[in-house]
Amino acid sequence: MSKILCSVATRGRYFTTLPLVIQAVMNQTRLPDKLIVFDDNDEPKDMREDPLYQNLFYVLSCKKIQWEWLFANKKGQHHIHQMANTMSYDWVWRVDDDAVPEPNVLEVLCSHIADDVGAIGGTVMNPPHLPAVIESSGLIANIEIEPNIQWGLIKEKKQVEHLYCSFLYRAGVHDYNLGLSRVAHREESLFSYGLHQKGYKLFVVPYAVTWHLKQPTGGIRSETNPAMYAHDDQIFKNHVAIADSTIVVLNCGLGDHIVFSKILPKIKNPVVFTCYPEIVEGRSIAEAQQLYGDIDQWNIYKKMDQWKWTGSLQAAFERMYL
Amino acid sequence: MIVIQPFSRALNNGKQNPKNYPYWQELIKLIDEPIVQIGTDGERQLTDDFRTNLSISDLKALIHECRTWIGVDSFFQHFCWSEGKQGIVLWSVSDPLIFGHPENINLLKDRNSLAANQFLWWENTEHNPNHFVKPEEILPHIIHVGSLKSI
Repeated sequence: MSKILCSVATRGRYFTTLPLVIQAVMNQTRLPDKLIVFDDNDEPKDMREDPLYQNLFYVLSCKKIQWEWLFANKKGQHHIHQMANTMSYDWVWRVDDDAVPEPNVLEVLCSHIADDVGAIGGTVMNPPHLPAVIESSGLIANIEIEPNIQWGLIKEKKQVEHLYCSFLYRAGVHDYNLGLSRVAHREESLFSYGLHQKGYKLFVVPYAVTWHLKQPTGGIRSETNPAMYAHDDQIFKNHVAIADSTIVVLNCGLGDHIVFSKILPKIKNPVVFTCYPEIVEGRSIAEAQQLYGDIDQWNIYKKMDQWKWTGSLQAAFERMYL
Repeated sequence: MIVIQPFSRALNNGKQNPKNYPYWQELIKLIDEPIVQIGTDGERQLTDDFRTNLSISDLKALIHECRTWIGVDSFFQHFCWSEGKQGIVLWSVSDPLIFGHPENINLLKDRNSLAANQFLWWENTEHNPNHFVKPEEILPHIIHVGSLKSI
């Protein structure tokens, strides 16, 4: 059975919706193997000293759900999700600190796990909207012009290109973009779309409802600086603008470029950014950084380290780009 | 004629790159044919014919002119592999199964010498002459090494 990590990022909601979320997680009909809470509060507290949380931790332990409370680095939730993404679990169920899943959600999402699936999401109901089916395409090209399909009831299983808010995803195959600002606007769209671009199927499925009990205070996106949103939106648009292409960023050595050049002909519509255009033609690394914010997701050495790689360098490039 | 490429990239901390072969002078004495050293400005000159900062096209011409080449783990071994020219790579701390090419002759003394993490910068790895094969162990390979077909 796949090992599942439930990841909750929290800020300013110790005594509002966070306890509800933890309770909902521990009451799932399919329990996660571990619950990890990333505490992004400016003044974090040791919740083991709080009677309410003492009881919640007690129940988690009784139900044999491992739990961990980590103090996050206050760089934004994309950094938090990336930590969860690389904790060596098979799947990560990301749950917002104000999104309360019904008891069957994880079980339903898990029932759609397959080798070619990258992520699965259900309904995320946003009060005061009443439950209704939303006939949206779920295509990335329509993200600005249609309501998100997850905002409504989902009639039947449907393949989409991006997911929102809370979903279950295959861990360790695609990175969160750490170049986004602290507000991490569009981080989940960008991340889930990246899974789609890597060839994994994304689905929205019925009978998995999460209630998004939005709070006027708190939240990991409590920043209001419009420049941050504009910055992140531009990075998102830059990705979507070349939807049918494979972005290649060769921020590595001359020899690495030579090895990479052998697999270049096999890559579908490559858009290449390179340090050595005399070996592999392309645009500059500085431009890649400007367009995509963070280019570490294409760092072949970091990836090989993450994969505990023992194969050849060429095979590592193939895994990254083919 | 044999091309040698003795040194890997200089480290930012000024220490010797742990991939640099320590016995070049002894090895050169054992080779009974002309040798051309290639490298970059500032590297130690080991032969009379030392060509620095060659362009890609000049390098290409040179390796097709030579009988074979000897180098350390650096871009040059990838370049020659890409050009289908078989040579000898002298390994120490980096893993030839990851960074090498089976078409070359990869001489690694002992896999126990390999760095525990192959994917970090080499600044934190000490140079150790004991990690390399001795010149007399290389000589038989120099005699027999040939050309590959283009790949």
